[in-house]
Amino acid sequence: MLVLGLDTSGYANAIGVAEGERVLADSVFETRKASLSQIMLNVDSVLREAKLSLEDIEGFGVGLGPGSWTGIRIGVTVGKMLAYCTGKSIKGISTLEVLAYHARDSRTLICPIVDAGAGGAIYAAFYRSGNNEINQVSEYYVGDIPGLAELIREPTVLVATGAQKYRSALSQLMKSNAIEALESVPSGVSVALLAAARLESGEHDDTLALAPLYLKESTARAFVNKYRRRVQAAP
Amino acid sequence: MLVLGIETSCDETSAALVADGRTLLSNIIANQLDLHSKYGGVVPEIAARRHTELIGYVINEALDAGEKTLRDVEAVAVTAKQGLVGSLVVGAAAAKTLSYALQVPLIGVHHIEGHIFANLLSNPEIPFPHVCLTVSGGHTLLVYIRDYCQYELLGGTVDDAAGEAFDKIAKFLDLGFPGGPIIDRLAAEGNRKAFAFPRPLLKAKTYYFSFSGLKTAVINAFKHQLARDEALPLEDIAASFQEAVVDVLVAKTMRAAKQREVSAVSVTGGVSANRRLREVFTNICNREGIKVYFPALSLCTDNAAMIAAAGHARLMLNQADDLSLDVIPNVPLEVQYAG
Repeated sequence: MLVLGLDTSGYANAIGVAEGERVLADSVFETRKASLSQIMLNVDSVLREAKLSLEDIEGFGVGLGPGSWTGIRIGVTVGKMLAYCTGKSIKGISTLEVLAYHARDSRTLICPIVDAGAGGAIYAAFYRSGNNEINQVSEYYVGDIPGLAELIREPTVLVATGAQKYRSALSQLMKSNAIEALESVPSGVSVALLAAARLESGEHDDTLALAPLYLKESTARAFVNKYRRRVQAAP
Repeated sequence: MLVLGIETSCDETSAALVADGRTLLSNIIANQLDLHSKYGGVVPEIAARRHTELIGYVINEALDAGEKTLRDVEAVAVTAKQGLVGSLVVGAAAAKTLSYALQVPLIGVHHIEGHIFANLLSNPEIPFPHVCLTVSGGHTLLVYIRDYCQYELLGGTVDDAAGEAFDKIAKFLDLGFPGGPIIDRLAAEGNRKAFAFPRPLLKAKTYYFSFSGLKTAVINAFKHQLARDEALPLEDIAASFQEAVVDVLVAKTMRAAKQREVSAVSVTGGVSANRRLREVFTNICNREGIKVYFPALSLCTDNAAMIAAAGHARLMLNQADDLSLDVIPNVPLEVQYAG
């Protein structure tokens, strides 16, 4: 199955095409603030590189985040409209799983980390690799590095942009040498490969309903919910 | 020429089909009032999230309601200028993908140009040149329109938009959101002369508006009543406030119409749904022998039909965009009138 995958959760348009386990194209375009402006041009250039047209694509994969909120909205919207226009199916993949997939040869616990912006906050989760599969073995984590340190009790490989930085912070906090680091950015072809495996087994998302994985509520709503809890807790 | 319009600049997710810039086939508007009203205004991140959830459904519904398929779409127009950036991005990402996948032209439209076209869509007979007052919760602009897409900006607000003043007063009086329809309803029961609120910049020679001081005067009057333990005639406050806004909007527009010697005035945007504004404009224009036009009520507030109509006009002028189209949250209406 010929699948196009894309992830725009960070500072790049990551776009790739895979067929079975064969990589036909895989590019990471540094876009920063030009993600929206460049996305279709980049999709077009990846398809050209693979000598394909949009009609040849049999399914789509999209990185759902977590990551930049505007960034994941661009990727999810482009992905769902591509699937809608071509009538092909789509599967959303957590960007944390995409990063974990890059450490699939590791026998230790795998912990992908994504920067959550202000105040050193991070998104993370734990995965294990085995039987050609990546399995999520924890809930999603949203918090800081010391909080993450408390969750790690065995040798672990961190997968992130800035993984070395996270490794030294965690090693220091845990006074442990059991933490490894793998520098990695989400890749489009990894999204495509992960999505293809699911699409081929008949698993797909409702195209029009597809939504990003924010993991954090918007500030205004968080404020109101906190206020409401406080009011309810009052005697 | 069938144009699919997309509008997500604020808190309405909308898609529409317009044929030849004139015939409205469908206009689907999903508003998010239920999500924002408890905050007394639009929360940008909540709006952007909701657009992302709704955009596909709204486009699909616009095609269904217009009894067309994707293959019938010949161009895609989207609001790309003026609005909340996170909201604009969602519509633009959808429009760019449609343009690429369907291989049809893409047109980025200025939101205010959309409002101008809302009235042209409702009343294709509006003669050029004319003076247009476009007024909503986000903007207040007086524009001289020489021909399709040829604008000269005469003036705008120096602080709050007129609709914003309605929203803020309604929020202060704890009446709800959005304030326009609520104050319109209350004012109908009140005395317009009960309070002598200021008419800011009414006598000024410019076409600039200011509503911030008026808003403060209304709030002070309310506090004064409260301090003296007097009854709070909300209807009278609403009617007197609304009358002050209407007086200024109508006076400046009529002065512009006379100075520019036009035979027609176009009033558009969310506030153009206000019943008192329509009544006063209609009376004065009748007296002065000037024609006045308002959009259908469904086209006053934000909608994608107006974006499709504006996009069609731009396309006829060979002003399509390419796939590198980006959004610009804050930019004046492009002035193309030269001499």
